[in-house]
Formats: sequence, structure tokens, C-alpha cells
Amino acid sequence: MNIKKQFQEGLITNNPVLVQQIGMCATMAITTTLFNGVGMGLSVLIILTCCNVVVSAIRKIIPDEIRLAIFVVVIAGFVTIVDLLLQAFLPALSSALGVFIPLIVVNCIIIGRAEAFCQKNTVSASFFDGIFQGLGYTAVLVVMCVFRELVGSGKFGGGLIDVANGFRFTLDGTGGGIQIFPSEYGAGIMNLPFGGFITLGLLIAVMQYTLKKSAKKKALAARKAAEEKAKQEEDE
Amino acid sequence: MLTNILAISLGAILTNNFIFSQFLGCCPFLGCSSKVDTAAGMGLAVVFVMGLASAICWVIDTYILIPLGLAFLETLAFILVIAALVQLVEMFLKKSVPSLYSALGIYLPLITTNCAVLGVVLLNVQNNYNFIESVVYGVTGGLGFLLAIVLFASVRERIQFAEYPECFEGFPICLVSAGLVALAFMGFSGMKIF
Amino acid sequence: MSADVKKILRLSFILFLICAITAGILGVVNEVTKERIYLQKNAKTIEAYTQVLPAERYEELSFDKAAFPTVDQVGMASDGSGYVVQTTVSGAQGSITMVAGVDNAYLCTGIAIIEHSETSGLGANAASSGEVGVKFRAQFVGQGEDIALSKAGGSIEALTGATITSNAVTEAVATSIAVVKSLG
Repeated sequence: MNIKKQFQEGLITNNPVLVQQIGMCATMAITTTLFNGVGMGLSVLIILTCCNVVVSAIRKIIPDEIRLAIFVVVIAGFVTIVDLLLQAFLPALSSALGVFIPLIVVNCIIIGRAEAFCQKNTVSASFFDGIFQGLGYTAVLVVMCVFRELVGSGKFGGGLIDVANGFRFTLDGTGGGIQIFPSEYGAGIMNLPFGGFITLGLLIAVMQYTLKKSAKKKALAARKAAEEKAKQEEDE
Repeated sequence: MLTNILAISLGAILTNNFIFSQFLGCCPFLGCSSKVDTAAGMGLAVVFVMGLASAICWVIDTYILIPLGLAFLETLAFILVIAALVQLVEMFLKKSVPSLYSALGIYLPLITTNCAVLGVVLLNVQNNYNFIESVVYGVTGGLGFLLAIVLFASVRERIQFAEYPECFEGFPICLVSAGLVALAFMGFSGMKIF
Repeated sequence: MSADVKKILRLSFILFLICAITAGILGVVNEVTKERIYLQKNAKTIEAYTQVLPAERYEELSFDKAAFPTVDQVGMASDGSGYVVQTTVSGAQGSITMVAGVDNAYLCTGIAIIEHSETSGLGANAASSGEVGVKFRAQFVGQGEDIALSKAGGSIEALTGATITSNAVTEAVATSIAVVKSLG
């Protein structure tokens, strides 16, 4: 396994949300401001990386029959740690994400990676897998947040960027964000559940379109190469 | 008391529907909704497990975790209870109600990772519901899920006859139609019983 | 048979061991974060109190919980300038926890929202630090028990697209004034 390939897989070709199509609940629910998206994405990234490392470290000593139960206990442990730390140090994020932080336990991304990847791979490969899959997840959240926030209320970076008293980043969720156009002209429906479904649908459609196009291009190039080769052989 | 229970039920089924307004349980919702019968099977299994999990987790939380000051172990304890419960229900149904088992069989293991189940249990704690309220919220939340998934499966059966851009094949077109159903469900928001 | 029993025992022992280790680690993390979480949670309430009715200390008063089920706690400002009331009411998406200040003439001195799960961009504006939120909350200052939305003949302008939230906040303020009145 090389790192570059893992990076590409996590972000694009095997992106957890867009290609594997798992972990959708939180993706649609919390992507209303950039603050939520970045916070949720990073929380998942940290939990995923820790779980991957632990699961692959103990993969040889756990009995096969109860491996799922053990995975769940490990995941729930890390989720609770992150939950407690957020409550203590970033209470604004904790209250904004609410029940979706403990629900990371049943997020299929984490148990899916444990089952599909970490069981069979070394600790270091699992570590990078966790980071890249987490980044892929975060990237999707960020794109969705930016889109929904802009169309829904004409803002960028809500909760994270404060422009009321000069430009600065905030971590307490109080930043109003940069107003790009007056919020009265925004399509408020994008902030509602409807917007979550539609945005994710469009995003996956774009992804499928791009992947198909690049696959076609590759096929075309391969066919051309084959034809040329055949031609050369004929000439000879 | 009665109005309270009515308000909780109405909220869980319509106004705050688990899928269309809280996004809990989207994975099985999208995964198991290609046919109306399978959707109904999944929905029934969820109603059953959500009601039972609400009751058991409430008891464990109130009589074990909170008196011992172990409230921080809630997430861990609840997910283990749900996993064990799903196993037990599966074994019990296999032995005593084989017809129901064969109807629900394949969906039962999937329920462990359904975030609607863990979600309802955590929300019960967050909202400080008492025992009856918790069970009512669990069952009616499951009924809301059942309603949503059956409605949506019927919509999906029609999608097969629709023409849409090729790149929307599969999940995207489902998500877009789910969005439209969610829009319809928004009509319920604002309904109140007092 | 005995091999089976042995196996089951071994598996349960391993599972138990892993659970115990996890619980142990969580216990340590909980010990470390417990105090901070407690402070963070209460800091919000006290900060909200000082926003609506500045005072050095607040003395907790008892009230009739059965008559006012949405009221969480009532505090009296130590200098006797008025009362602070924390209420939890249901909004459009979930419950809204907020504080309202009430002076000795039973008029609202201001409101602050502690926790809510309203839709971001609509109902959440009630709690935002932006212009819309500040303007919305400022309307409540000086209102009496007959407070109502402009739609219902009062003078509170509801937030755009968030009538339910606005109504919930308005009712909470009315309840807060009523509970203070009931104390006499």
C-alpha cells in the first residue's frame, strides 16, 4: 500500500460519502454552517484514526467471533473521550452538534474501515487510512456547508469567522460569518432538511459524472493505444 | 400526562420525523427502500427494537448508571445493550415466532448500526423523559420511521419509470426525491397539541 | 460440551477485559474533564443572568413547579433590583432554554438564550450575536405580562420564517413574568 494511492482513495476514488455512500445521516444533518462541518469532520478524523490504529494493533489477539463487539467497544470508548473533551473545551461545538457526536459510534465509516481495512493491514497503513478517509469525509462536509450556507443565507464561514470586530477566527461559535449577499435574498430552504438531501444528491451526481467521464477518457485512451499498437504490428 | 404523550407521539411521527427532520436512520432508509415489502419489514423491525431499547436503556440509565455516577458511560452502555438486544430478539424470534423471524430476519442485524435506535435512546436521556414517555417516544419514533420508509419506497418504485440524467443513477436520484418528500413533511411543522 | 463452555467463558472474559479497560480510561478522562464541563455549563447560566439583569449574586427562590412546568429556576438579584427566571420551552426543532430578567414593576429587563436547536439561519437568529438577533431580543425589554407577537395584537415582531420560535420565546417571557408575580 503506498501513501499516495491511499490519499487518492480517501479523497476521491473511494471517498467514504461520495463513493462508498456511508455515514450519510450526520452529513446531511449538521452541514448548515462551516463551524459545524469542520468540527464534525475533524472529530470523525481523530476518532477514525485512533480506532484504526488500535484495531489494527490488536487485530491478531482478538478472537474472530467477537471482533465486531470489540470494535464497537473501542469505537464507543474513543467517541466518549472526544465527546467529553469537546464538552469541556469547545462547549459551543458540543451543543451545536448535539446528539450527533455520540452517534459517531454507529457511523458506518468507522466500523466499516475497521472491518474492511484495519483487520488486514499494518498499524501504519491503518493510521494513514484513518487520516485520509477522515480528510475525505471532512472535505465533503466542508463543500456541503459552504454551498448550503451560501445559497441558504448568503454567508461564508458562519460560526468560524468573525468580521464584526475585524477579521478573526473564532472557536466559540459566535462568529457571524462573512455576509456575501443579504440573507433576505437567500433560499432559506437550503438550511432545512430538504437542502441537506438535495445538496448531497447533487454532489454525488457530480462525482459520478466526473468518475464516469474520466473512466471513459481512460478507456478511450486505452483503445487508441491498442489501435496504434495493432497498426504498428500490421505495418511491421 | 395524556396531552404530553399525544404531543410526543405526534412530534415523533410527523413534525419531528426521525428521517425527514432529524436525519436519524438515513443509511437503512436509503439502503432498504427499493421495494415496499422489504421497507415495511425493516420499518416494523425498527419499531420493535426502538421501543424495547428505549425501555431497557431507561431502566439501566436511571437505576444503574446515574446512581453510580457513571453517566459518562452512557454511550458505551447503550450501544452494547442495543447490540445484545438485537441478538436476543433474533434468537427469540428464530425459536418461537419463526414466521416473523423469516420476515424480519435479514434486517435484524442491520438495526444495531441504525442511528435512529441509538439516537432515540440518547434523546430520551437528553429530554429527561420518564419511563412511559421514553417508551412512547421510542415506539412512535419507530412508527415515524416506518411511515417514512414505506412512503419513500412507493416513491422509489415509480422512479424506475422516470427519465433522469445518467449521472443521477442510483443514490443521487433517491436523495433528491427524499428531499422532495421531506419538503412535503415540512407541511406538518407548526402543528401543536396543547 | 465442556469445550464449548470453555470457549464461551474465554470469549466473555476477553470482552469483559476490553470493556473494563475502556471504562477505566473513560473514568480517567471523565475525572479530568468533569470540573471543566460543570463550570462551562453553569458559566452559561450565570453569564446569561448578568446579561439580562446585572447583579453580584443571585439567590435561588422556590416556586410552584406544578403551576409553571416550563420554569427551571428563579433567582433574585442580591441588590433587590429584580428577578431572573430560567425557562425551557419547546421551539420549532427542540427545546429552547433561556433566561429572562424581570424587574420589581413586573416588566422584562431583557432576555438571553442559553441553549436551543432551532434551524440555523431562521429560528437560530433568536440567539445569534448578529444584528437580527440583537434587534429581536431588544424588543422584549420593557414588556409586561400582556406581551404578544404583532400578529396576535402585541408589539413583538416575529423573526422572518420563524414564527414558532418567536412565539415560544414570547410565551416564555410571559411565563417568567407570571411566575415572578406569583411569588408576590
